[in-house]
Amino acid sequence: MADRIEGVKKLFTSKSARVDTNRGDAHYERLFQICQTRIEALKTQTPQQNRLHIDDLLEDQGISRRDFMKWASAVTGMLMLPSSFTPLVADAALLMNRAPVIWIELSDCAGNTEAILRSDGPKIDEILLDIISLEFNETIMSASGHQAEKQLEDAMHTFKDKYLLFVEGAIPMGLDGQYGTIGAHAETFYDHLMRISKHAAAVVAVGSCATFGGVPAASPNPTQAVGVMDVLKGKPLINIPACPANPANMVGVIIHYILTGQIPELDSLLRPKFAFGYRIHDNCERRAHFDAGEFVEEWGDDGAKNNFCLYKVGCKGPMTFNNCSIIRYNEGVNWPIGVGRGCIGCSEPDFWDKYAYERPMADANIKAPTGGVEKTVDEFGLGLLTAAGIGIGIHAAASLAAGKKEESGEA
Amino acid sequence: MKPEYKQVKRMTTFMRINHWVVAICMVAAVITGLYIGHPYYQTYIADPAVDKYVMAWNRWIHFMVAIIFDVSSIVIAYLYFFSRFEKPYKKLIPTAANLKEFFEVILNLVTLNRRKKFDSTHSDSFNTVFFLVFHLMLVWMLLTGLQLYVHGLASGLSSIGNWWPWMLHLVTDWTVPVSGWLIGTTAPTASIMDVRVSHHLTMWLILVWVAFHIYYQVWRTIYWKEGDISIVVGGSKFVKDDKA
Ligand code: HEM
Ligand code: HEM
Ligand code: SF4
Ligand code: SF4
Repeated sequence: MADRIEGVKKLFTSKSARVDTNRGDAHYERLFQICQTRIEALKTQTPQQNRLHIDDLLEDQGISRRDFMKWASAVTGMLMLPSSFTPLVADAALLMNRAPVIWIELSDCAGNTEAILRSDGPKIDEILLDIISLEFNETIMSASGHQAEKQLEDAMHTFKDKYLLFVEGAIPMGLDGQYGTIGAHAETFYDHLMRISKHAAAVVAVGSCATFGGVPAASPNPTQAVGVMDVLKGKPLINIPACPANPANMVGVIIHYILTGQIPELDSLLRPKFAFGYRIHDNCERRAHFDAGEFVEEWGDDGAKNNFCLYKVGCKGPMTFNNCSIIRYNEGVNWPIGVGRGCIGCSEPDFWDKYAYERPMADANIKAPTGGVEKTVDEFGLGLLTAAGIGIGIHAAASLAAGKKEESGEA
Repeated sequence: MKPEYKQVKRMTTFMRINHWVVAICMVAAVITGLYIGHPYYQTYIADPAVDKYVMAWNRWIHFMVAIIFDVSSIVIAYLYFFSRFEKPYKKLIPTAANLKEFFEVILNLVTLNRRKKFDSTHSDSFNTVFFLVFHLMLVWMLLTGLQLYVHGLASGLSSIGNWWPWMLHLVTDWTVPVSGWLIGTTAPTASIMDVRVSHHLTMWLILVWVAFHIYYQVWRTIYWKEGDISIVVGGSKFVKDDKA
């Protein structure tokens, strides 16, 4: 009976947003053993092509061992593991270059690549992404043209069934995919993705475009762009949405993979729960102002100067799952709401059309189911109510007239 | 001679209390729900901290009302089958008699009471279907509302036990794709925003329902001359003796 209950529980909850932060000692002890064996095995392997050494890199950037261990314990917490895992996480970070990564770009702005590269004074997350064994990335590699294609072939061949494929950008499906082609043979983005994902160990979609279509898929979506999850079937897929995806979460996923050999627990939208299990709104520093009903009414008013809640200027924190309210961006420097601008729900499906407007949902124009006229829900509802009112009025007037006739004996 | 009238009992005290509780809750849910959707009055910035929790109170009232709705819906669902009066489910089965009555009641309404060929002593099948529509919309509000609510319990913990968020996920997660479908989203993946739009829109549908309901009950009272409105006040209505 007990295991049947457990089975039913699993069936119905595995895909929900619920985050289980404490799975009991037995679970973690077993996991620790698995991770330890894995790390030991990885240590004996020689690194792949990337021969940069993390210790040197950290030293060059003036980051002490102590800072590194502090970072490791923070990542352990972020991955929702007990603190006893900290040394393992630190080891896994040092072994990041054992995981070969191929990174492709489709309909995108390279913003996620930029997020990693352009941080001023790279911090540990960014440095780690430097030392992963990045076998192929159009934006940052020196090879180009046929040479680049050759390099891709080599990487796919050498690390067959072992590499992680990072995908940045949406896939245009219109015109048989001809909206986006790559290379001398004009391979469509769709074919490109299918070919390279075929022998990937797992696929990681980074950024909102690769996960849910993002900006390229925004209405009217002329290229019929979609996210990776809409076209790729039968492969382990991890979505790391947000615009741009937070480098900390990319590192988290890679470390989790190195540590356990598995992909982290995902929610119904295939987002790792460690990063997307919580709402912005529930960890927001302005939440007290929300509950107090103190809102910024317009940009730059007294409320804005006093850090009031941004709900009325369109903050979508109540509907958005992401950890930027906890870990922030650029190694904890700040995040959107911290600088006084509402959340636009960048980690949610269809965010450009449904979340990214500077007013609450109730005041925003939404499409009628017919796809036609755009009205706010309240305009639409008031319209319905008025129509009903007119109908009632007509019926009442007719009834009155008919009633009078009856009394005067005409009917 | 004036026709003799006979009193027929139609609603127990309990049913009447339930009715007015529902009506008051609905008004409260609309007022607080609209505030949650778009805070339409401002907190005085200089107010003392003690009465600061304007949004929190609105949400509190909204949820309390929702819980009362929950309980009342369960009771009503029970009454559908076990009521001491006409058990409503009997009027919902599309038998020939029920279908005929359903259209006769509509004809009565559109012919402005010129044609009345059904027995108005008992609850009629038109009204019963109409009430069912309300209860279905209310259930939808409950499910979508609870889906919006459960995300505040992301930790999976709650003060009344872990079963609560677990159960809410179990019974309401499916409203996400269904809401996306209902509001006709073009995106391949639905999200909680669709649930929110659907929750807000359904409120308007309920308001339209209420407008017609009140009008129709008053209209019946005036034109049928059988005191229908007192069903929900005193519990009974009056019908001419020859009928009852
Ligand atoms: C928000 C406001 C209201 C709602 C949601 C509402 C809902 C309902 C529902 C669901 C029923 C079916 C019985 C039940 O399930 O309890 C009902 C019956 C009834 N309501 Fe209301 N009601 C509202 C306001 C009113 C008002 C203002 C009146 C008076 C004009 C009224 C008069 C009646 C009458 C007379 C019945 C009994 C009808 C019969 O059994 O034939 N209601 N109402
Ligand atoms: C019966 C169970 C109900 C539950 C559990 C419920 C719950 C909720 C929740 C959780 C929210 C979002 C609040 C937030 O984001 O903090 C909400 C919003 C709202 N609710 Fe309800 N609600 C219920 C019924 C109703 C009813 C009966 C109405 C009105 C007829 C209503 C009208 C609204 C409106 C207008 C909003 C604002 C939506 C928006 O603009 O985003 N709710 N409700
Ligand atoms: S600023 Fe946004 S996330 Fe923060 S409390 Fe207000 S609505 Fe919630
Ligand atoms: S605050 Fe919202 S829109 Fe901004 S980065 Fe975070 S999740 Fe994205």
